[in-house]
Amino acid sequence: MTRYLRWTLPALIALGLSIPAQADKKAPEANTCGDYGTNVHFEKTPSDAARKALKEEKLVCVLHVSGDFEDPDFT
Amino acid sequence: MNALADEKVGNYLEKYFVSSFQRVGTFRIVGKAKQGGNVATYFCAPDGRVLHAIAGPVNAATMLREAQWVVEQAKKGIEVAKNDGGSFKAHMRKAHADKLRAEHGLVVEPVTFDPVDPKDNDGALTYRDPTGRALAPILPPPPIDGPDVKLRLQLENAARALPASALVRDRGGRGWALNNQGRVHHLLAGHSMGQIEKLYGAVFEGILGERITTRPVEVVDPFPGRGRAVRN
Repeated sequence: MTRYLRWTLPALIALGLSIPAQADKKAPEANTCGDYGTNVHFEKTPSDAARKALKEEKLVCVLHVSGDFEDPDFT
Repeated sequence: MNALADEKVGNYLEKYFVSSFQRVGTFRIVGKAKQGGNVATYFCAPDGRVLHAIAGPVNAATMLREAQWVVEQAKKGIEVAKNDGGSFKAHMRKAHADKLRAEHGLVVEPVTFDPVDPKDNDGALTYRDPTGRALAPILPPPPIDGPDVKLRLQLENAARALPASALVRDRGGRGWALNNQGRVHHLLAGHSMGQIEKLYGAVFEGILGERITTRPVEVVDPFPGRGRAVRN
């Protein structure tokens, strides 16, 4: 039971508490990892995204794709 | 990727999520034509536990609705659980079962606890792919207790239009038609808050029917003999 509490709940609680605060924050840092023609900024790896999410008190969105996501012709 | 190009979707995802992507499957190029290719979206806690998923490409409205749903359920879960991880997990699984009933007309009893896994993943008899990594298992979703009577006729009509392999089976062995998102809720009513590495096989292979591989593109020449030097 405690292993669930260790990571998940603090992060989710932080998300809930920080939602009004997030709205006031300025735009995120300059995109270093790319948006690949979308309106979403993508971190290089899910691990990077998880670390950033923990720091910024957000959830993580991970896409699993076939082919080369970086190349629109191959996605 | 059209849904992610939408401004509202982009703004919402940027506000509540940090995003990334992974290549887990391939598609084939046969001659000059592309065959296959797919996408699955996972909404996770920062420790990799899956709160929700979307199987396959969806439009912007669906992407936004599902993202909003998971954020709302996470907030509700925090209120209900009161620092109890088990209660939070149970809340998420019940939420998936409720959504499955409301939107797809099927009733499942959410599995609110995880039984001990009897498999020894480090054992000598455990199959591993050539990279040494254990394959992602295709997890069984909870059994279907029965359809919602309101949608029974629709479900039966849909079931008749589908091949047997596309149906999910209830306890009585009857097949019921569920679209990809219904099958995601069915799966997550029993496995939500599981680690993404344990769940992605069930989504990508089990629901989408794609093969998991690290090869991005498989090129197939339908006429392999063409261009070969002719021997006399």
